[in-house]
Amino acid sequence: MSETNTSNEIVIKLSERIDSNNAQAEEARIRAALSGVGGKCIVLDADRLDYISSAGLRVLLRLRKEHSELRIINVSSDVYDIFDMTGFTEMMSIEKSIRSISVEGCEKIGEGFNAAVYRMDGDTVVKVYKHGEGLSEIKHEQEVARLALILGVPTAISYDVVKVGSSYGSVFELLDARSFSRILCEEPERMDWCVKEYVDMLHTIHAITVPEGKLPHIKSEAIAQIQRIIPALPDGIGEKLLRMAQEIPDSNRLIHGDYHTQNIVLASGEVLLIDMDTLSVGHPIFELAQMFNSYIGFSEYDHEIVKRFQGFDQKTAAEFWQRSLRAYLETEDERRVSDVENKLRCIAYSDLIDWKTRHTQLAAREDRETVELWKRELTELVSRLDTLDFEIASGKQSDAPGELDIEAAKENLDRVLEFVNAHLERVSCPQKSQLQIDVAVEEVFINIASYAYTTEKGRATVRVEVSDEPITVTITFIDNGVPYDPLAKPDADTSLPLDRREIGGLGIFITKRFMDELAYEYKNGQNILKLKKNIGGGNE
Amino acid sequence: MKITEKRSGERLTLELFGRLDTETSPELEKRLDAGLDGAKELILDCKYLEYVSSSGLRAILRAAKLMSGAGGKLRIENTNELVAQVLQVTGFYELLCAE
Repeated sequence: MSETNTSNEIVIKLSERIDSNNAQAEEARIRAALSGVGGKCIVLDADRLDYISSAGLRVLLRLRKEHSELRIINVSSDVYDIFDMTGFTEMMSIEKSIRSISVEGCEKIGEGFNAAVYRMDGDTVVKVYKHGEGLSEIKHEQEVARLALILGVPTAISYDVVKVGSSYGSVFELLDARSFSRILCEEPERMDWCVKEYVDMLHTIHAITVPEGKLPHIKSEAIAQIQRIIPALPDGIGEKLLRMAQEIPDSNRLIHGDYHTQNIVLASGEVLLIDMDTLSVGHPIFELAQMFNSYIGFSEYDHEIVKRFQGFDQKTAAEFWQRSLRAYLETEDERRVSDVENKLRCIAYSDLIDWKTRHTQLAAREDRETVELWKRELTELVSRLDTLDFEIASGKQSDAPGELDIEAAKENLDRVLEFVNAHLERVSCPQKSQLQIDVAVEEVFINIASYAYTTEKGRATVRVEVSDEPITVTITFIDNGVPYDPLAKPDADTSLPLDRREIGGLGIFITKRFMDELAYEYKNGQNILKLKKNIGGGNE
Repeated sequence: MKITEKRSGERLTLELFGRLDTETSPELEKRLDAGLDGAKELILDCKYLEYVSSSGLRAILRAAKLMSGAGGKLRIENTNELVAQVLQVTGFYELLCAE
């Protein structure tokens, strides 16, 4: 066993195998290495470790009792699985070994400010972080991506972390991934398709409401930027801009924050987002401002810049932006488009001026002239605007609402199930839970269809809400029919022999068993029945 | 839903395909109404049954009553997880699926 002793930690290499044959000897050797090093952090290097049996695990448990800060590093996937299954990963710090790979000669399929994405082989891509970002940033992005997936954003989840030279990378499985930037370069005739898919995805993102506290509010960052640039703006302009920004309504809508065509890919026919580290919540003006910068603002002084980042020229960028904005706002009304564009440009220029000033200190003439251009535009806009708020296009929210209003008729059961299942699929509901929910939904809806309205036809409202951690689906049924509390009925006696069983009453009984919570109330002439089911843990 | 049948002496096996729910359970009821030709043992083979809801259960309960009225027996075989669960929570499983 070799060991490395530095001023504050001691690293001890573990053997290839720790089982009942050598566990005692291994423990004795570790203890010998530890004697007299008191106070240092103890790191066990599992680089060579191929197998550990329960006898080996007990050695680790005993060591941890005495050294609570014990860490195990360089753990292979196989051994990590053992630690994971036995719950050790929750007890102590266990770090997987990180493979080193090279991206030399690999095709670069996308690039942003923070990272570049390379294709390693047919179905694997690696996102390499540029600014020496550490493991904690990568883990943050993985967590955020998982949250996004749960909330219904089509995205790829990284399954491995690798070392690339001195940087780290996240590995994704993405079959034949091509960024939208590349599609626009190689097949300009697909502009229509790209705009449609790009805007559909944006509507999907903005239709998602994020529970408070999960993601930062983008408005706070925008306000901080404006506060920093106030001194550089003419008297009164900065203050007016700040007031208008503060008055932008708060919102818990999901905002991607770096939504440009390098970050959206087509992979085996599916459109996916691949960059998640900038997720936040807020008013869509902040998203649109950032998009404007990607296509127009950033390269307004030097038109070549957009080509370097996106691969397509400034004319294509301008066309893509203008068409996307119209599609997003669902309007061809030029007055409305330019009103919104003027407002979002105020946020966009503030961001650019602040960013450029901080990153270049405006040492070069070019940088000073660029910032002057943005300042002139900003000043002119702020002086003629009174508010930055605008009406947000309903977009997907109206076609995929959380609510279905439908005639309470048996024939509509399929549509109700389809509606509920669409929501369940968006949150990757496990099949077993989905089927249980289907059984419950069928029961409740058929009850309403059969009994709620005695004389004439009536309607029912079905509402689906999903909340996070643990993921819980709440389905609410509302009807204006005769007051009826299905929960008031005594449970079916399941111990009776079948020939003494009642034909009715079983459905609500199954519903009670399959759901975690049921609640009924009669309010304002409406029967309101809520079904709740927990469909999974918070993080997985 | 599709129902296929096999007759072997006093045993009649109905193989159920797809979903047994509000929309499709009348088809099973109709089959039961058509008479069981004096079968003493009715088997519902659920190998290809994906889903059962309470209306499906009602049809099954009718089949069970029909059989016991005729001095025979109903048995359910090859249930998938969901179908087994629905039968379990309602107490049907023990009575109809036990070997």
